[in-house]
Amino acid sequence: MNKKRLLLAGLLIWLSAQVYAQENHSGDLLIKNAQVITITNGTLENTDVLVKKGIITEIGTNLKASKNVKIVDASGQYLMPGIIDAHSHLALEIINEASSPVTSEVQMSDVIDPFDISIYRALAGGTTITHAMHGSANVIGGQNVTLKLRYGTKDPNRLIMEEAPRTIKFALGENPTRVHGIGKNLQPRSRMGVEAVIRNGFEEALQYKAVWEKWNLEKQKKEINTAPPKFNSRLQTLVDILDGEIIVHCHSYRADEIYMLIEVCKEYGVDKIVFSHVNEGFKVAPELAKYTMGASVFSDWWAYKFEVYYSTAYNAAILTKNGVVTSINSDSDELVRHLYHEAAKTQRYGGLTDDEALALITINPAKQLGIGDYVGSIEVGKQADLVLFDKHPLSIYAIPQMTWVDGIMYFDRKSDQDDQRIKINIKRSPDPFRLSTGAHDCMQDVEMLFTDNYHH
Amino acid sequence: MKSKKQLILTYCSVYLICLLLTLGQAHAQSDNNGDRRITSSYYISNATVIPEPGIIHSNYDIIFKNGTISEIGKNLTIPKDAKEIKGESLFVYPGFIDLGNKSGVEIPVLPERPEDFDTSNPIPELAGIHPHFSAAKHYQFNEKIEEDWRGLGFTIVQKIPEGKGMLPGLTTLVVMGHEGNNNLLTENPSQFFQFNTVRGVYPHTKLAVMAKWRDLFQNTVLYREHMAIYAKNKGIGRVEFDPVLNALIPVTQNQTPLLIAPKSELDTRRALKMLEENNFKLVLLGINEGAELIPILHSKKVGVVLNLALPEDKFSDSLDNDEQGTDYDARIERARKAFLEPLSLASKYEKAGIPFAFTSMDLEKKDFYSNLRLMIDNGLSKDAALAALTMNPAKILGIENISGSIAPGKMANLILMTDSLFSKDGKVSMVVSDGYLFDYPDNISSGKLGSQVWNYATETPVGQSKGTWEFVKKDDKWEGTVSYDSPKGTGVKKAKMENLELTDESLSFSFIVETNDDVLDVTVDGVIKKNNKFEGSMNIKGYTQFTVQATKDEKPNKDHE
Repeated sequence: MNKKRLLLAGLLIWLSAQVYAQENHSGDLLIKNAQVITITNGTLENTDVLVKKGIITEIGTNLKASKNVKIVDASGQYLMPGIIDAHSHLALEIINEASSPVTSEVQMSDVIDPFDISIYRALAGGTTITHAMHGSANVIGGQNVTLKLRYGTKDPNRLIMEEAPRTIKFALGENPTRVHGIGKNLQPRSRMGVEAVIRNGFEEALQYKAVWEKWNLEKQKKEINTAPPKFNSRLQTLVDILDGEIIVHCHSYRADEIYMLIEVCKEYGVDKIVFSHVNEGFKVAPELAKYTMGASVFSDWWAYKFEVYYSTAYNAAILTKNGVVTSINSDSDELVRHLYHEAAKTQRYGGLTDDEALALITINPAKQLGIGDYVGSIEVGKQADLVLFDKHPLSIYAIPQMTWVDGIMYFDRKSDQDDQRIKINIKRSPDPFRLSTGAHDCMQDVEMLFTDNYHH
Repeated sequence: MKSKKQLILTYCSVYLICLLLTLGQAHAQSDNNGDRRITSSYYISNATVIPEPGIIHSNYDIIFKNGTISEIGKNLTIPKDAKEIKGESLFVYPGFIDLGNKSGVEIPVLPERPEDFDTSNPIPELAGIHPHFSAAKHYQFNEKIEEDWRGLGFTIVQKIPEGKGMLPGLTTLVVMGHEGNNNLLTENPSQFFQFNTVRGVYPHTKLAVMAKWRDLFQNTVLYREHMAIYAKNKGIGRVEFDPVLNALIPVTQNQTPLLIAPKSELDTRRALKMLEENNFKLVLLGINEGAELIPILHSKKVGVVLNLALPEDKFSDSLDNDEQGTDYDARIERARKAFLEPLSLASKYEKAGIPFAFTSMDLEKKDFYSNLRLMIDNGLSKDAALAALTMNPAKILGIENISGSIAPGKMANLILMTDSLFSKDGKVSMVVSDGYLFDYPDNISSGKLGSQVWNYATETPVGQSKGTWEFVKKDDKWEGTVSYDSPKGTGVKKAKMENLELTDESLSFSFIVETNDDVLDVTVDGVIKKNNKFEGSMNIKGYTQFTVQATKDEKPNKDHE
């Protein structure tokens, strides 16, 4: 009994410490003498970065901080902006609502899992922001959510980056045609069907918008002479896309389908669109540069299904040289831990400069998520999402030492514990083989019911 | 009304006979064959009465008639027609109230899926969205199912509708009364909500459940608006009846509570998010984790129903050395702490001053009292535990005017215990529900329902042989073991009984004894007399036959407790 009490007391102390960590929403910090890789303004030698309430307030030399501010001596080390992953399924309880070709009404912010240990692992790899996306089972999937990896909170909402604009997942090609066409005999069964689903969606949205505009006028009259319309958050979301309030992030591989969506978007006046994966993006690089907010690619991942055979590791470099805002994403809880390696591959394949390569995982994904004004580079006024490497982050020997979000340290290699879980699942045994989380993927939660094949 | 006929339920009659003949305690309520009750007027004399948590009256009488308590106090004037229930040495508590119970509720028959069924756009019923269904329509009182719940002390039970999807329907209240009556209480149904789905159709996951809920809520508001406009202006076109939206109107108007069953603290957060977005009355059913949410639930005035089911103790499973890994001890320690958390959750709600109820929704009946005791061992006060089973659920259900405590005018729902509630020796001896008496003599005579121990002795030519017969009821079937002195002279041996037949009147079984040079087939057969004595014979096949006598052990599970 006494032992139980003791355990309980220990637990309470631990809990209150957790609460304390949560309440500490932004930090003050002074990093001294670092090699500061600003991304937008070159690399500054032996430079200090001062952070107040989570915002970078000064970059310079011999900066002073008031008494209680934590000072980090970064002599000989490299400070860069926190890495941003523009395509991820990290920290999500559910990925796909695969029951309909269009599910624009669903919101990934409803299923954030703050207990996902992969958040901590991502921090340990210098990643501070992930774009938590709906999967690729549907032509128009759910609304994504941009997360700041404030690991330690039990409140899913605390992970949401409030400044980030709304984004939505689209998916072209084999995944939606397999799930809905082959799996359930619904449209789309082919790439033509995919286009039709998007066009029909936009057309219905326009009708829906007109109906509601009419009703809103009617409501102001003294005597109402029409019945109220039905509310439909699926169509309302599509209206919001047409109104430019939502950035489309579209899963795509082939040049023809990429070009198709560019044309459809032009027709409907949608200019906020980013293509994901984009393995054949190099074939339509000028078009991507002209009409889109960019392309988010894998460094060298291909041939895992038919539509991804025609690929090259030079993709990111070709896109960059063509003026496409390009990022390298992980789409994986494992790759997210070393996106700096992925970025470095563009120096081997395409000879990008350091700044170009690092922009692929910092300012460029920030722009694609509509948060380029807040994060993605080390500039005064930006949020202090930072990572400190012992060596240059593009070196294969570099290891992240500390990671900050909003000026608060969420990872410190020196105080890294064996067990960094926030929550213990007591339904599981403490069997070590079950401690790791399963890898997420684009087609998770799409049951065999819908599809026989199972691919990204 | 049929309900007030003087019938005594058939299932109960067996118990009544038992009780009449064995305990001689509650002998007043029926005639000899137990089929007809003489009166609906009773009084419990001279009992220790706990009318509500924190109040104890010694030597109190309780008079109740036609299912309603008429008076409680000392030395009451007893109405002439009232039959006495001797309360001396008994503790009387208000009957328990359970929320979220599903036993006896049938799965509603759903329409067939059409051949060209579109899984992306199913009719609401096939998507698990049928708030217009009601548990009341799919529940039939069944004494076989309900007697065990009543035996734990439950007298009013909220039945939740069956359904795989997000909106299975309305709940209904049931009083654990006479099988011959209609035991439904029509008061205050709740609309049941879960994050579950039918799977394979829209909505398929929690993602779409949340989205669908938002649409349903908004459309219910618009549906109402349409009705209001149509009432004034018939020119706008009639309101097409929509059973789903129609059923949700009282929820959107803050009349019918939405009873959400969260399976995790993230579900609880989702429910709070729903509440932030739309205004409705929220009751959370079956909370089992998330102590840090207590202040939020408090400030939002959410009705809290905690889960009576507790996690299984798995952290003490040890692994082989090579599987343990380096941080095994630390991990086990954290797992142990995590395991303890749900045990103290109720006490944390108590300390925060939130009145909460309990639900048996995930509970195995046998764990009811032991889990409550575990919570009490982990900081929950007995008064708060009692309140969570009586006053608080009555309040959450809006039936505190007729239940939740022992007071004149309230339903005669009482528990008579042999000792104070939650104490080790406290057993339910009788439950009064809707004014009907239900005895649970097995609780007392055999310690635990479903287990018996008998001591037997047999005279053999070589002297007396002694041993025990132990019976355990598993899935309604008795299993037994017999112990006997080993013929090899190596102490006491045990054997499994075969062909066991145990009733209230008779017992027979066979077992096998191995001697040095033979295998003996032994059969025991005889009758159980009314004073817990057995008389019969023991037959050793091919040899001889002896007489056997046995006595039932009154408290076989002493060591257990």
